[in-house]
Amino acid sequence: MKRTFLAKRNGLLSPTDVSWGVFALTLALVVLGVRLLAPNFFWYVFTPVFRSAETLSGKGRALFSGFENAATLAKENERLQEENTALTLENQALIKKEASTAGLSLIKEGILAGVVARPPESPYDTLVLAAGAKAGVTLGQEAFGGGGVPLGVVSSVLPDFSRVTLFSTHDFVTSGWVGDTNLPISLQGAGAGAMSATVARAASIKVGDTVFVPGPGMLPIGKVARIDSDPSVPGVTLRIQSTLNLFSVAWVTLRDTGTTFSIVATSSQP
Amino acid sequence: MIRGVSLTFATGGLLTLFAFISVIFFPWLFTAAFALFASAFIPFIPLAVGIFADTLYYSPATNFVPLFTLYGALATGIVVLVHRRLRTGII
Repeated sequence: MKRTFLAKRNGLLSPTDVSWGVFALTLALVVLGVRLLAPNFFWYVFTPVFRSAETLSGKGRALFSGFENAATLAKENERLQEENTALTLENQALIKKEASTAGLSLIKEGILAGVVARPPESPYDTLVLAAGAKAGVTLGQEAFGGGGVPLGVVSSVLPDFSRVTLFSTHDFVTSGWVGDTNLPISLQGAGAGAMSATVARAASIKVGDTVFVPGPGMLPIGKVARIDSDPSVPGVTLRIQSTLNLFSVAWVTLRDTGTTFSIVATSSQP
Repeated sequence: MIRGVSLTFATGGLLTLFAFISVIFFPWLFTAAFALFASAFIPFIPLAVGIFADTLYYSPATNFVPLFTLYGALATGIVVLVHRRLRTGII
């Protein structure tokens, strides 16, 4: 049967689709405009929203853990394990620092900054911090989590907010060392808090070896979580996981380390 | 709107609101999945959510292009074409 042409039926979109679609697009563009024209004001508006999201997710976890005692214990165990890891890493870093920076006093106090937005809500490996130029934050400063674990570099600064690009960002290249023999490696960001590096098969790196990056001394950044080996290739690929859970980082310390990175931070628009 | 599935004005509003809220409250994979689901009813949602996500999280230091706006535009383009073909009975 031949269909008759109806303008309404053959239209690209129906009026209802268009009305909500246009509303959604307009809203997104208005928010974008505010961010481009007044970025500091924009983050002042959105910081309480992110804070309430964090509070809600915390309450949700508390609600579910209230029903199950085992869940409470598991959470407590997880927290203690994280603390233990942080203390172990701090201890390792201090031992390395003592050996490599003996006689020097390079460690500065740093700027404590709360985290406003983080992965996994953020699809990019970045953190938005509630501290900016007024607090002394400058481009290129390094961000450290609990236990002095290096997390990333400040890539843009506003008067009251700043953005940190994590070392796990795709294509972010960092120099470091791995293993007991301090084998030099080039760490490449792989996204979602992971990094990778290639070393010779003969280097005998094993799962669980600590990976260090330069700071004042050698700072532990992660551990080898997996080793991928292809018999046709002379090297092996190390899959490295950050020792801190980047999805729950609540605060960081920012300070100058004098280290240069492969991604140069030049933006003033976070 | 998919043929045979009607969308009330209020439901459309809820879908739009939840899509925007999920950008802040939920992991981005969930947001992307929900935007694709909502696009069955409101084709422009992926593009709008992509712009909103890049507004919040995009940093020129990490990526040359705002990827989620591009992905949103691509999804919207495909959904609009599919809607058109469904409505005209080609598929």
